[in-house]
Amino acid sequence: MAIPKPVICCCLILLACLLTAPGGFSAEENAAGSTAPGDGQKAPKLIQALVCENVVEGIPQEPAIVFSISRGKVSCYTFFDPVPANTFVTHNWYYRDEPSARIRLQLRPPRWATFSTIQLRETDKGPWRVEITDAAGLILKELRFSITD
Amino acid sequence: MDKIFQLLASLRWQDIVDITLNSYILFRFYVLFRGTYVFRVLIGLTMLWFFQQIAVSLGLIVTSWVVQGIVAVAAFIIIVVFRNEIRNVLQARNIRSVLWGFTPKSTGTPIQIIVDSVFELARKKCGGLLVIPGREDVSELVHSGITWKGDISREMVLSIFWPDNPVHDGAAIIQGDQIVQVGAILPLSNQSELPSYFGTRHRAALGLAEASDAIVLIVSEERGDIHLAKHSRLRRILSKSKMEQKLQEHFGIYPGDQEEHKKQRLEIVTAALVSLIFITGVWFNVSRGLDALVTLNVPVEYMNRKPAMEIVSASANSVSVDLSGSGALIKSLRPDQVRVRLDLSKAISGRNSFTITADDVSYPPGIILKNISPSEVTVDLDVTIEKLLPVQVDWVGKLPEDLSLVEAQLDQEKVPIIGGKRILDSIKTVYTEKVPLDTLKEQGSLVAKLALQPASLKVADGGRDKVTIKYVTKKRHLPDALEAP
Repeated sequence: MAIPKPVICCCLILLACLLTAPGGFSAEENAAGSTAPGDGQKAPKLIQALVCENVVEGIPQEPAIVFSISRGKVSCYTFFDPVPANTFVTHNWYYRDEPSARIRLQLRPPRWATFSTIQLRETDKGPWRVEITDAAGLILKELRFSITD
Repeated sequence: MDKIFQLLASLRWQDIVDITLNSYILFRFYVLFRGTYVFRVLIGLTMLWFFQQIAVSLGLIVTSWVVQGIVAVAAFIIIVVFRNEIRNVLQARNIRSVLWGFTPKSTGTPIQIIVDSVFELARKKCGGLLVIPGREDVSELVHSGITWKGDISREMVLSIFWPDNPVHDGAAIIQGDQIVQVGAILPLSNQSELPSYFGTRHRAALGLAEASDAIVLIVSEERGDIHLAKHSRLRRILSKSKMEQKLQEHFGIYPGDQEEHKKQRLEIVTAALVSLIFITGVWFNVSRGLDALVTLNVPVEYMNRKPAMEIVSASANSVSVDLSGSGALIKSLRPDQVRVRLDLSKAISGRNSFTITADDVSYPPGIILKNISPSEVTVDLDVTIEKLLPVQVDWVGKLPEDLSLVEAQLDQEKVPIIGGKRILDSIKTVYTEKVPLDTLKEQGSLVAKLALQPASLKVADGGRDKVTIKYVTKKRHLPDALEAP
């Protein structure tokens, strides 16, 4: 008796899913396909976090603590090693302690570098900080810098 | 008539006490200083004041200006000129006589001895000059006296004025039952119409009598006449009884003289009534005179705040208070006499509303509170807490194009701050004052103060209000292609 084609298709799809999922099935995957710590997985370890003028080919350019408004933008670069499982971190940007931007960034094993960038306006001169939090909301690092003339 | 009844009906017991007290003070003033030089000068000053009012109402510019200046220093003049009299009253050992006594008590001066001594001197034609002071102090008028302090006796008086006695020239001053000074020099009278047979002795006696309320007995060496000088007048005394009578009058003693007693009592009662009427008039003028209105801006005082709380803000720091009263009272009202106080003992953390009532406003009696604006005040209170906050440098200015500030170390990364809980709950960072980048070198350190906002925040013990910043800069290496637009 021949196997029906829809059944074959379903089996193939299932096989493809099994082969591509790195940790196998997880009961608590989020919409982006990353996991939160607390599932028994270890949290990613933040190795490097800095604020810089730009990130070119994955390399942070001109890290500093004071940036000129004329640069037009500023980036926060973070590097995690190891990254035990798919997860995410959030770069929370604050201007004078007021929330300005909240950027969620994916992390993939085994190690991952990621960055977020904000565009600067004339009214953005002053003290800033970036809070780097993990998927559970734990603050991993706080970076402080200023935007000036 | 109805108006008078209405006025009387509106009197409170405090008003009655006010009028009675001041009437009594004025009356005592009269009793203590009547017949003295003080009283005459005060009458003069009062007339001067009335003259000034007339000059002002008639529009006499220079006259009112001059009189105003004199009246202005009148109080000072009184204190300087009558310092002895004022001191005598204030230092009075017998307070009862100051507050209640009507006649100067006899100080035990032996009148009979004086009378006998004076007549004996006259019989022997020994010149003599005896001074019996009244209520005014004569020590400033009398000079070069030699202290004696001997009990009066006829023999004493005779020996003092014996021609061969070195102290026979000059006057003997009697106080109580003692001769306290001898050989005293008295001021001379300037009267030009004195008979020529009156010598220096008589002039000296008259001089003192003109300047004080003392009685001076003069015995003439040439004729053996006895004269008595009092109140700028010289009288010849022919009999002992007359002298005795004059001395008793001087000491306020009127034995068996009913007429004199009646006259005295009438004078006292009249003085009391005049004082009462005068003070009542003044009182009504001050308290019920023409109505005047005034608006004062009074700061609000907050009291009984709990120590753990602080005032964050208030909707009004001062209120307008409308007051009315008689013109005299309103004119004399000083802003510091009106106070508005709010009790915060029942206030809670957060917004509290208070209505300002008449009980919260204090003002002098006789003044009426008309209106308070605003009548509602909202006070924001907060519990005081301490919080440890991170410090961040507030950089401003511009670094040179080729430099980049890469590191800044603070000697105080976190600082404990004391302030209201609601304020501190919303604060995550303490910033420094603006630190200019323009003056930075390659590396170095600088000091910056903390800029605490709002100003109610304070650095707690264990923290400092300044930070030392150690900074490092480095040359920039960005390729041209990647320079920001």
